[in-house]
Amino acid sequence: MTAAQSLKPETESRIVLRVEGLGKTYGGVVALSDVDLSIRAGTIHGLLGENGAGKSTLVGIMSGQRQPSSGTIYLDEKPLPPVDVRAMEEAGVFLVTQEPMIIDHLSAAENLMLGIWPKRRFGFVNWRKLAIDAARMLDGTGIDPSALAGSLDAVARRKLNILRAMFSGGKVIILDEPTAALTVDDRAQLFDFMRRLKAQGVTFIFISHFNDEILEICDAVSVLRDGRYAGGSEDVGAMTSEDLSELVLGRGLVLFERQRPTFSADAPAIHLTDIRSGALNLPSLAIRAGEVVGVTGLPGGGGKELARTLFGLQPAASGRIRFADGAERALPAHPAEAFAAGIAYLSDDRRRDGSIAQMSIAENISLSAEVALARGAFMNAEQERALSQRYFSSLGIKAPNSSVAVDTLSGGNQQKVCLGRVLATRPKLLMLDEPTRGIDVGVKQDVLRIVDELSRTGVSVIIISTDTDELVRAVDRVLVFQNGRVREELAGEAISRSRLRNLG
Amino acid sequence: MSDIAMTHSAPKPQTAKSRRSSAAGWILHNVVWIWLIALVVIFGLFNQYFFTLFNLQNIMVQATVLGMIALAMALPLLVAEIDLSIPANVGFSSAIGAMANTDLGLPFFLAALIGIAVATLIGFFNAVCITKLKMVSLIQTLSMMIILQGALLALTQGRTITSLSPGYVWIGQETIGGWPVMPVVFVLAILGMYVLLRHTVLGRSIFAVGGNQVASNSAGIRVDRVKILSYTIAGFLAGVAGYLLASWQMAITSNQGASYLLYAIAAPIIGGVSVFGGRGSVIGVLGGVLLLTVIQVGLAIISVPSFYVGMIGGIMIFIAVAIDAVRVRYFG
Repeated sequence: MTAAQSLKPETESRIVLRVEGLGKTYGGVVALSDVDLSIRAGTIHGLLGENGAGKSTLVGIMSGQRQPSSGTIYLDEKPLPPVDVRAMEEAGVFLVTQEPMIIDHLSAAENLMLGIWPKRRFGFVNWRKLAIDAARMLDGTGIDPSALAGSLDAVARRKLNILRAMFSGGKVIILDEPTAALTVDDRAQLFDFMRRLKAQGVTFIFISHFNDEILEICDAVSVLRDGRYAGGSEDVGAMTSEDLSELVLGRGLVLFERQRPTFSADAPAIHLTDIRSGALNLPSLAIRAGEVVGVTGLPGGGGKELARTLFGLQPAASGRIRFADGAERALPAHPAEAFAAGIAYLSDDRRRDGSIAQMSIAENISLSAEVALARGAFMNAEQERALSQRYFSSLGIKAPNSSVAVDTLSGGNQQKVCLGRVLATRPKLLMLDEPTRGIDVGVKQDVLRIVDELSRTGVSVIIISTDTDELVRAVDRVLVFQNGRVREELAGEAISRSRLRNLG
Repeated sequence: MSDIAMTHSAPKPQTAKSRRSSAAGWILHNVVWIWLIALVVIFGLFNQYFFTLFNLQNIMVQATVLGMIALAMALPLLVAEIDLSIPANVGFSSAIGAMANTDLGLPFFLAALIGIAVATLIGFFNAVCITKLKMVSLIQTLSMMIILQGALLALTQGRTITSLSPGYVWIGQETIGGWPVMPVVFVLAILGMYVLLRHTVLGRSIFAVGGNQVASNSAGIRVDRVKILSYTIAGFLAGVAGYLLASWQMAITSNQGASYLLYAIAAPIIGGVSVFGGRGSVIGVLGGVLLLTVIQVGLAIISVPSFYVGMIGGIMIFIAVAIDAVRVRYFG
């Protein structure tokens, strides 16, 4: 049962959505087992859990996208028959997914009314009513109804999705990690917006990996672990971040903390000279062997551009790279050259740019190292298998075996596969773009630990991150980029939360 | 986000159900072969002649040309593109080869090689347009198809080329111990494609590019190069198919190859090659080719009036595709 017993009188509103004994199996794999959960009307209900704990499966069932193997959903205490997405939406339950469902070349107003166009007779769209209604809905949100959706920023797109759900009669709106890829300001803006809608009586189910977000905005919280209900509270105010982590992991969380090595002045290093591409302008930079350098700044500031230029994904106007062994070369023109030269990069968008979803874990891990292992045109099957197996087990990828397709894995495990793929190329310079975004706090520590261990073998690492917490705990030096240049450099103990926040 | 938990609890009550569903999955995964066997039995019941050795040889010969074209078609599909000009390429390149033999008097093997080279070049040219000029493959190859069909008509002036030398038609006519030689080429092509797709870096890259082009590029795969090679090999296969077709029919008509277009697209897709790229196998293509050939030959043998052949054949293909759609829907 939920922790409904510890109710405070003022939060006692009716239960709008309840699930009982919910279970789901895929093939032989149990994704969800005997979950009971109650959501009260007009609250923001946090849903926490590790990658693969069953959050997405649960909200998938709640929103009608997946059918439960067992159990019942009650809406306003009335049991629902097995239903599909449309029926759930008509009943008022909407899922807003991580990737906003938005059609880029339609206007904000049209996106808002997608599928619910105000109609005239004979199926004609009532454009005037559409424009008026949309303008009213968007009033005060800062979104221009006639702006093309493709030109909107991440927050506006999320808002648009939430508004669309509301406008379609949404009573319960499920937000699956809405804060992923948002900046601190964006997040505050989104939270204000949610509070305003809550005051209008909308109920939210809010999925997040961040304890501080849950503590900030949620009235109640439920935690899933290994597909089961692990605990929860209807009085989030009384909880601490540690309480939440313990519920999520089932044990106390040991946060990773890097022991910063000391480098001598003449330590071997990778030297970058005169790196220019678009607005990016980096006269010189030395990254010592075994050093972990954090790169931060606003989007477009130059951090991501630096990595993509060094990796050959973005054309360079100029630039040389000299490795610790003295070998100097021009920047690679293609990722294939970069891997061959010992430069590896892992994109922040692992869905689009990280792995081949329908290929197996093993095939993905060996994908980038394949050319180096090949005997002429032929694959070196045994060595590839051995390599994949090594990273499959050393990275602790949770899957029945390595021949499972990557798209059946949870986000955190997909990220480990991607990491395995770039590590398998044995890079000298490893660049990771937001390596822990959207993955749970437990796997996040794993990833940071892997990076740490790798650096101890002499690999130079660049981590591009907007997660201040990660920068404070995992890197030796932080470069703050602005307008394509390094604006500030922090090292060692000078890397602190307050310094990084102020740099914003 | 597909967030399937990997919990360790043993699935107790589901075992019977999942065993049943995996059996259904197995059947659906091999639907091409089961449907193929079923049709062979049905046609055989209608007419005993269907089971004769001569008919088996007939099916093998018929399957060869369609099979070569289907293999060619499968390659662009696997990299999530398409090449509609392949059947037209079959006709055009074989006309070039035949005319080099008959009009220029070149030896037949040299003439055949010229035809195959022309076909390979056309495949290469298509790929360059698609990768370097970023032309949309559907439209680029559609226009190439129209050009090649027109060029064949212009080349032949509407006449049928029949004066092919005995050497040129040898491969399509020769039998050893009563068995036709031509299907050997198809068997070799199947083996070659199997090795290419399963055991070479290029093969692996083809599946990766078809699955996710952007990620493949970031993984260090030269996407353009992979696409160009796929189209070029497809062109080569089309050239060989053209040579075989001309040699088998001992003639080149002014619309040679055109009738293969839809069947050549249908065969790989029936055999499980995804139109969205990245999925498919050589064995599947073989299954699709045999299925279509058996339908064609079978309908002829049980003497279905010719007015109904197209319709019934179409319905049989429809059933195969529908079953496959059900498979993808429920078993992925």
